[in-house]
Amino acid sequence: MSRTSAWKRWPGWLALFLVVGGLLAYGAVKDSGPLTPEERVEEITKRIACPVCDGETVYESANPSSVAIRAEVKAQVAQAQNSDDEIVAFIVQQFGDQTQLVPNATGFDSLVWILPAMALVCAAVGLFFAFRKWKHNVDAVPDDDDRARVAEAMAAEEPDGVES
Amino acid sequence: MLAEGVNGLFGHSALIVGLAASVFGAGALATATLLKDQRLVRTVQGYVWVVLVGAIMAVVVMQRALITRDWSIAYVQKVGSYDTPALFNFTALWSALEGSILLWLLLLAIYTTIVARRYRTRMADPLVAWALVVMLLVTAFFFFLALGPTDAFRAGGVPNFDQCCAGPNPLLQNHVLVLFHPPILYLGYVGFTVPFAFAIGALITGRVGEGWLMETRRWALFAWGFLTLGIVLGSWWSYEVLGWGGVWAWDPVENASLLPWLTGTAYIHSVLVQERRGMLRVWNLSLLLATFSLTILGTFLTRSGVINSVHAFSDGTIGPYLLGFFGVIVVVSLGLIAWRGDRLRSPGAIDSPISREGAFLANNVIFTLFAFVVLLGTVFPLIVEAKDDRQIAVGSPFFDTMAQPIGIALLFLMAVAPVLPWRKASTELLRERLFWPAWCGAGALLLAILLGATGFAPLLAFGLAGFAGGSATRQLVLATRRQGYRGLLGRANGGMVVHLGIILIAVGLTASNTYTRAGEFTMTKGDVVEFAGHTFELQDVVDFSGPGTVGVKALVSIDGGQAYAPAITKYTAQGMDIATPSVKTGVLRDIYLTLENGSKPSTGVAKLKIFIKPMIVWLWVGGLLCGVGTVLAAFPGKHRRKPTDPVSAPVPLDEPVPDSLQDAAHE
Amino acid sequence: MSEPQVDLGDDSPAKPRRVAPFVVLGVLVVMIALFVVLAGSSSGPKDEVGLIESPLLGRAAPTVRSTTLDDTPFDLARRKGSWVVVNFFNSTCAPCRAEHPELVKFAEQQRSFGADGAELYTMLQINDDIDRVKSFFLSRGGDWPIVRDDEGTVNVDFGVALVPETFIIDPDGVVVVRWAGQIDAETLSRLVQQQRDLYELS
Repeated sequence: MSRTSAWKRWPGWLALFLVVGGLLAYGAVKDSGPLTPEERVEEITKRIACPVCDGETVYESANPSSVAIRAEVKAQVAQAQNSDDEIVAFIVQQFGDQTQLVPNATGFDSLVWILPAMALVCAAVGLFFAFRKWKHNVDAVPDDDDRARVAEAMAAEEPDGVES
Repeated sequence: MLAEGVNGLFGHSALIVGLAASVFGAGALATATLLKDQRLVRTVQGYVWVVLVGAIMAVVVMQRALITRDWSIAYVQKVGSYDTPALFNFTALWSALEGSILLWLLLLAIYTTIVARRYRTRMADPLVAWALVVMLLVTAFFFFLALGPTDAFRAGGVPNFDQCCAGPNPLLQNHVLVLFHPPILYLGYVGFTVPFAFAIGALITGRVGEGWLMETRRWALFAWGFLTLGIVLGSWWSYEVLGWGGVWAWDPVENASLLPWLTGTAYIHSVLVQERRGMLRVWNLSLLLATFSLTILGTFLTRSGVINSVHAFSDGTIGPYLLGFFGVIVVVSLGLIAWRGDRLRSPGAIDSPISREGAFLANNVIFTLFAFVVLLGTVFPLIVEAKDDRQIAVGSPFFDTMAQPIGIALLFLMAVAPVLPWRKASTELLRERLFWPAWCGAGALLLAILLGATGFAPLLAFGLAGFAGGSATRQLVLATRRQGYRGLLGRANGGMVVHLGIILIAVGLTASNTYTRAGEFTMTKGDVVEFAGHTFELQDVVDFSGPGTVGVKALVSIDGGQAYAPAITKYTAQGMDIATPSVKTGVLRDIYLTLENGSKPSTGVAKLKIFIKPMIVWLWVGGLLCGVGTVLAAFPGKHRRKPTDPVSAPVPLDEPVPDSLQDAAHE
Repeated sequence: MSEPQVDLGDDSPAKPRRVAPFVVLGVLVVMIALFVVLAGSSSGPKDEVGLIESPLLGRAAPTVRSTTLDDTPFDLARRKGSWVVVNFFNSTCAPCRAEHPELVKFAEQQRSFGADGAELYTMLQINDDIDRVKSFFLSRGGDWPIVRDDEGTVNVDFGVALVPETFIIDPDGVVVVRWAGQIDAETLSRLVQQQRDLYELS
């Protein structure tokens, strides 16, 4: 690797962005076909907890109640009348709130979605202010004394200074 | 009650002696440090030996009781049986709550002894002394647990063989991984006690120079490595044993192991900033305190019965003690930080977000956020229950939704961060260094599409994984070019090997979560079905039996090849049916067969569930690479920095510097 | 959890401020709240035994059209006019097997009432082994009809997850009692009698 070649300055990067963008678009479009009934059953049953076994979804559980729920979901999907949400809501109504694996986005339960977002915002704001403050702090320029000490220590190190 | 048998007597004595030694040892060392009495300081070595002997004795006696089937002990009645094979009889030690506390205790005593021995010449240093005091106090707490609330040597009364002595839970006696997963995971959990103890020591003495950091960094690294390996082995065990075809279910017990892993991972990255720039001291201390607190909190959540889980052994009696211990740790930690925090803070500034330290900071924000999300999701049902007395669940779809953007952000960081220099990066430099890694990403994306992958998010993940892999490989190639095989050693380079492992795991998880296919088939002997491009022929359905078990297995030939035999085993003593999957492993996909109830040799009917799970084997290879990388990272690199070395050196970026040298100077 | 931005060492050497106590105080408040929640949470199994809530109570029983084990068609709607007790059962479930003698006793009691007695039905679960059910009833007694649920709809419609569960349905076809877990003959007869009295009052 010598000096940055002209190719790596921008034509190479431009080509890269075009290729990646094109591939992602192609892959995303190819995916958007309609769901097969089988895939719908899978998606729905993954959103429902087995009512009696701890921490398993209906999709993976072999408990009789889960098998029955799977069969019910399959039947409702085959009828093609209800949406995914309605089917989940029906099962949850039958077996209780603790079978709903995706918490509600309304009421108190929505906090489980909101708090992480708030934490992210707080962290971003905090970092922003920290960096702003640090920027003002850079006034602490090293004086000649510091430079001499650094140079001395650098000389003691091996020239390539690879970090261990 | 039966008179105490010899094993019970010896076990209790060992625990009492160990408890006394750890309490007196901690007391003696604390007094000695306060009074600066060097003669008293030296006595602590003796106490530590007694602690170790006590813990070893307790475990040995319990093993003896298990091997000799000493039914006078309640724990043996709980997990022992005449039918259990020797291997699983050995692992029965940690197959229920009481015994697992003994294992924890043993590992803790070993760590304590190593700390005491390793730093025996430096006990005069109050920081080291306080660290050992903390370790002894934690050990004392676990001795207390083992004696009181989870007494493994409790006398069991006359056994009623109709009801007792069924052996360990069947799930814990049908795979050899049960021998490795719990001890390795515990080595990780318990290992974080050492850096925690040093952090407390640093806070008490108010000395947070980089010296202690050097000491704990390697401990933290080992603990992290064991924890990582333990988690991966646990997923493997789940995949091979539980029969639902998955590796990670966001179950509370799994989350409990992930929480300290997340904060621990944040720590082993941000500690580099402290080492290099002297900054983030209080933050790093907080991460260590959080890691240990979360370990205890996780143990509480999964061992107290407040949260039900497939993996939990819950027992109502231990909960309050663990919660109390957690409270003490939190109060002590926070109190010390409130007292010392301001004094420990360092001057200094991070000049630019686009720099190595900026990337580490971003890494920390993301990992902390991740930990927050996991903790919130895990305890949220309890919060709702406390508030409204309603039962709700927060399950894998929630965690998956949250983890997806976080995972993608982390992959992006892994791609960019390794090439960033300290202090400040120029666009020029990024364009140069990221060029080939970015094309690796494009290549990975293309390959994924050629292999049939679809969907925006998974493809983005594959592309970024290729990018990150490119960056890690670039660093390793540059380092080995300069230093030969030694270029693989040291923290930065070993770390890149770990990154490669994590990338493989990320790719495996993305692929297996997105593209798994499952089908259920009821077949009669001789039937052939076609599913996902493979043919499955049911050759036979047969009965089998072993000690304490009877079962049914189906012989299924995949694509006309070798027969695979998923089975259902009935453990007669517990009356439990365990479905054992059979897996045909491949680089790109596993074919995972399970047998369901209703399969019968008499009629030749088998109910099969077939999963096609892409790229599962990448997870195990990734886990292995993480382990190897951790070991490589623990070796000293080419030369070690002395704590007195300057933490950073000015390199003028605007002057033309040969790239090779510039690269080298920055990494 | 501590907030991510708490103490990134962002102090200025010019005027050192006391920051740590405030940050710690904030974290402490969160931790105390967490502690209170955890300390208050009940431990132990949450499976209830006894009368439990159900959206079905006071409503018409779901449609049940199926066949019994001896291949006779079964339609719950046609049982209107008599008291019906439906017991959900699985041959692999230990409490179901344990409660069986009580059901036998209950069936005998009700039979002594003649036409006024409640009718008892066993409702199977979707993937039970029919042969095992048959041999269980053969060896342990019980000659009431056993209804299959091969599509699983009955269990889902009744919201039954953990067997055994017992429902009492009045002569109008309305669900009046849902009992979770094992039940004994005496309790079951008492419940039926209670409902019968209420029914006759109204």
